[in-house]
Amino acid sequence: MRITILKLLSKLVWSSKMSNRGTLWLIGIVNVLVVFALISGFRNLNQQQKTAEHYSHEVRERWESRPDKHPHRMAHYGYVAFRQRFPLSFFDFGMDSYLGNAVFLEAHRQNTANFSEASLSNGLLRFGEISAGMILQLLLPLLIFFWGFDLVAREREHGTLRILLTQGVSWQEIIIGKSLGLFYLALSIFVPSAVLGLILLFFSEYTTENPQSYFRYLLLIISYLVYFFVLAALAVFVSARAKSSKSALIQLIGVWLFFTLMLPKLSQVVGQNIFPTPSKIEFDTTVEQELIKQGDSHNPNDPHFRALKDSLLAAYKVDSTHKLPFNYAGYVMREGEKLSTETYKKHEAQLIETYQKQQNVVRLTAFLNPYVAIKNLSMALSGTDYAAYNDFQHQAEAFRYKLAQTMNELQIKYISNKVKNSADKNATISKKNWADLPDFHHQFLAFGEVCQNEILSGMSLFFWVLGLGILVKYSVKNLKAF
Amino acid sequence: MLQATNLSKTYGEQTALNNLNLTIHEGEIFALLGQNGAGKTTTINCFLGFIEPSGGGVSINGVSVADNALETKKYLAYIPETVMLYANLTGTENLAFFSSLAGFSYNEEQLSGFLSKAGLQTAAHNQRVGGYSKGMRQKVGIAIAIAKKAKALLLDEPTSGLDPKASNEFSEILRELAKNGTAVLMATHDIFRAKEVANRIGIMKEGNLVSVIDAKDISANELEQLYLQTV
Amino acid sequence: MTALLIKNFLRSKGLLTGLLVLLAAGFVSLNIGKYFLEKNKEIIEKTAEYQQKSIARNVAFHPKEIGLLLYYVRFGLVNEMPNLAGLSIGQRDINPSLQSVTIRNLEEQKYTTDLQNPLYQMLGNMDFSFVLIYLFPLIIIAFCFNLISEEKEEGTWSLVLSQSANPLKMLRLKMLVRYTSVLVVLLLLLLVAKFYLVIPFDATFLAFILTSILYVSFWFSLAWLVVSFQKNSSQNALILLLSWVMLTIVLPAGINAITVTLYPVPEAFSSVLESRDGYHNKWDEPKEPTVAKFHQHYPQFSQYRHPEGKDYSWLWYYAMQQMGDDEAATNAQAFKEKLQKRNTISSIAGLFFPTIHTQLSLNALSLSDMDNYLHFIEKLEGFHEQKRLHFYPKIFTDAAVSGEDWGGFGLDYFKEKANVHWLRTLFPLLIISGLCLILAKMKFRKNQMAG
Repeated sequence: MRITILKLLSKLVWSSKMSNRGTLWLIGIVNVLVVFALISGFRNLNQQQKTAEHYSHEVRERWESRPDKHPHRMAHYGYVAFRQRFPLSFFDFGMDSYLGNAVFLEAHRQNTANFSEASLSNGLLRFGEISAGMILQLLLPLLIFFWGFDLVAREREHGTLRILLTQGVSWQEIIIGKSLGLFYLALSIFVPSAVLGLILLFFSEYTTENPQSYFRYLLLIISYLVYFFVLAALAVFVSARAKSSKSALIQLIGVWLFFTLMLPKLSQVVGQNIFPTPSKIEFDTTVEQELIKQGDSHNPNDPHFRALKDSLLAAYKVDSTHKLPFNYAGYVMREGEKLSTETYKKHEAQLIETYQKQQNVVRLTAFLNPYVAIKNLSMALSGTDYAAYNDFQHQAEAFRYKLAQTMNELQIKYISNKVKNSADKNATISKKNWADLPDFHHQFLAFGEVCQNEILSGMSLFFWVLGLGILVKYSVKNLKAF
Repeated sequence: MLQATNLSKTYGEQTALNNLNLTIHEGEIFALLGQNGAGKTTTINCFLGFIEPSGGGVSINGVSVADNALETKKYLAYIPETVMLYANLTGTENLAFFSSLAGFSYNEEQLSGFLSKAGLQTAAHNQRVGGYSKGMRQKVGIAIAIAKKAKALLLDEPTSGLDPKASNEFSEILRELAKNGTAVLMATHDIFRAKEVANRIGIMKEGNLVSVIDAKDISANELEQLYLQTV
Repeated sequence: MTALLIKNFLRSKGLLTGLLVLLAAGFVSLNIGKYFLEKNKEIIEKTAEYQQKSIARNVAFHPKEIGLLLYYVRFGLVNEMPNLAGLSIGQRDINPSLQSVTIRNLEEQKYTTDLQNPLYQMLGNMDFSFVLIYLFPLIIIAFCFNLISEEKEEGTWSLVLSQSANPLKMLRLKMLVRYTSVLVVLLLLLLVAKFYLVIPFDATFLAFILTSILYVSFWFSLAWLVVSFQKNSSQNALILLLSWVMLTIVLPAGINAITVTLYPVPEAFSSVLESRDGYHNKWDEPKEPTVAKFHQHYPQFSQYRHPEGKDYSWLWYYAMQQMGDDEAATNAQAFKEKLQKRNTISSIAGLFFPTIHTQLSLNALSLSDMDNYLHFIEKLEGFHEQKRLHFYPKIFTDAAVSGEDWGGFGLDYFKEKANVHWLRTLFPLLIISGLCLILAKMKFRKNQMAG
């Protein structure tokens, strides 16, 4: 393959498309859209972060300023955890709008994270969101197909294809050369958006706290570049194989429609069918049934804790729980919290596993569908995928558990055994103790973890490149020159 | 020199070419007559290497096309029936583009020289090809052949759509090229033009080269009679 | 001539393929709708069962204290989903169609979501409204974009012009053949839907059908307008495809972005905090003022008082819970108003953009839109209040648990009746189609038919 020939062919594609006013308009409009998406996404991100920060501070202040009281009341007063947005999430909104933003953390109970953007919308959201990610993954491919469908087919119809071949240019050179030209056209939209994204990232105050954003951004750029090249080569290849330019256009639009709109939705439904998940009521009931078997930790005389009671009485050589040197009710609650949390976590893990299986059905289609591959990669790197959300849920739950158990410890240590319930006037400890519980800080997934999660998507993009390369090298024999 | 030896091509049941034997020498203009579907375009495509023969072979200057596709292309130039070229480029730019593909790098003067030699008026050299008439575009095609210093020129229906003046100019240029040693194979329906410009004329019917006659041995009317009898 | 035009159309492979694609996609979407309806029925049935069992179990555990019992007991309210929602799932896969609540403070319980895989919500369902709004236009574009240009490019146009004084008539017929074929597919799908998803043939279904027909007609009018410009095939295709992308993807997403920026909803977060503090802080405060506030809210319960000097009473506990709701009330109201505002903007935008209008209208008819959800929340509040009023006197007088017919508490149903606003639903589509047709007529008159 000669570089000079490739340069000539790609330059021709570029200049002939650029001399067309329609092309310039399209490039202009899409660039404006991307700029709008990036800037509005960035503004929204900052606004949401500020809101979350504001309320986080509120929650902390209120927590620390609670007066002296029984620690178990604090455990029920609870905390509210707010989900932080990763600094790159302005680039690709991913699942963000469908994920809950605030979760109420209290003892004995796991609540759902509520108030996703989707629950606050009225149906417009389902049409899609204008994010840079959406434009680059969904719209730019359509544009690439529209510019590329006739690159070879039209030359065949005009006879210049035969002249090209007669001048000694090989089929591989034609396909790769034209793909490169088409790729450069795509870059006329991608490069400005990548640069703007980098600038926004640089100036964001949240990036300095999370320097891994730069690594993620680099990987993001590389992935998109591979995606666009795959699409350009696909378009030119289809153009070369099709009988006419009209047929090439129909094929490419059909491919776009099927892969970006229909296949994801269909695989989603198939996934749900194969791996059904329980509804909340089923889930809650199953957990509840197990918990009942464990007993009620609020009730120190609960028969289920009898064994515990007897062993403690024996160990401390006393005959009544009131004579134990620590608050027995608190002890029981601590054990209860531990057991109930374990039970809940067990069931939750099963649920998450089912979700993963469902998602893997969609993920596997990435080998057929580069759109799904880039979508998953882009979401994961922007921190707006399910793995990131799941991590938040785990952190929130871990904090909840810590909160409950810290309060239980305080009760065990400081509350006298003679107190009957938490409303007793004597059953209070100093509010200074509240500050001992550290604040909730949502941490983001490490770069390495993110990469690991999306190995499958990365591999499928790689396989597409390989596959196209093999096709171009070996199946050119079947291409018609006229 | 173009040579086809026992050239055959079948598509399943259909025979497109049946044992074709043909030799065109340097400086010779050979006109191939025949109905649509007789096999004229198939023959040309075989020489160009776009079709793989089912039997026999073709060679250019003694080099087999099947074995050395890339090399034989160096000797060839081709002008299709509809010469569309790249509408947004000028005549000069089109010529420059195709020449660089073949490995030739020319300056403005040289490019203009080729275009003029092919008969294109100087004023049109730097206008966009999109505005050319068919005759003008064809001249660019010829310029590409000249610039390539091709030893053999293959033409498919070159005079279809040309007015008599352009047609005449075209014959002139062909004769010039032949004088310089280029072998020319031209597939055409134009019996008059064939008699006027060719050295030898071949008539094809259903894949067979039925007759080959020297142009000077026959008049145009006789040629027409022979044609109608044959096909 | 019409018969031959029809033959010409039907013999074209590409065109028949288009109709088959629509049918296939339509049938798949009907299946998806049916699956969704069935899943929902299943959940409701299971919940009814669990509720009975759960109440019985709790009664067995807490037979002595009705106040404690009611801390645990949940009552379910179902937002009934009409079978029509199988065609237009709307927000029903995001907002739960069933809420189970205790009589404790409502703010904390109102917004619990069901367990959903967010990837699936993001990808969305391929329901009938998706096929109608996204796929039908593409096929229509494929059928119509080269109405004139294909004749010009294949060379038959000059023949048509030379044979007929009024080529427009032939073009209209050509268009009519295509329009009829697409309508046949649409009506066939809706007919099958009626029986497969068991949809009653009432005013809402009729409105649904008419909206769908008008939406399809809009796209034909738009195509007719573009055809009247008499550009070549590639340009027509480009213009129509761009319109499709704008109308189905870019504009709705853009309007959504604007709505979200104009009306952010921080009230969601603040109401969580207000309701939590409204209730929890009362534990540290003297009991009398709390009870007094409770009496202010419910003067009919003034006779019940918190026993002096006691650490705890159910009256005081439920009074605290009530404060949680009362103090978050302004926030909760502001929250609802914000959502209502968002809703209004989208509806107005919808008047100009047929895709938005159609989706919102279909959602409204199937009771799967934001309005329906807000009404459900209101009904939930009423339901909650009703349960409170029923049980408060029993709690405050420490009535016997066995005195209540616990087995009688089944699920309650909120059956909203969809109001069909015929004019508001159908008019915008009629107007915009009409506009396209008028413009096209002017264009045809101006550009004399040329070869």
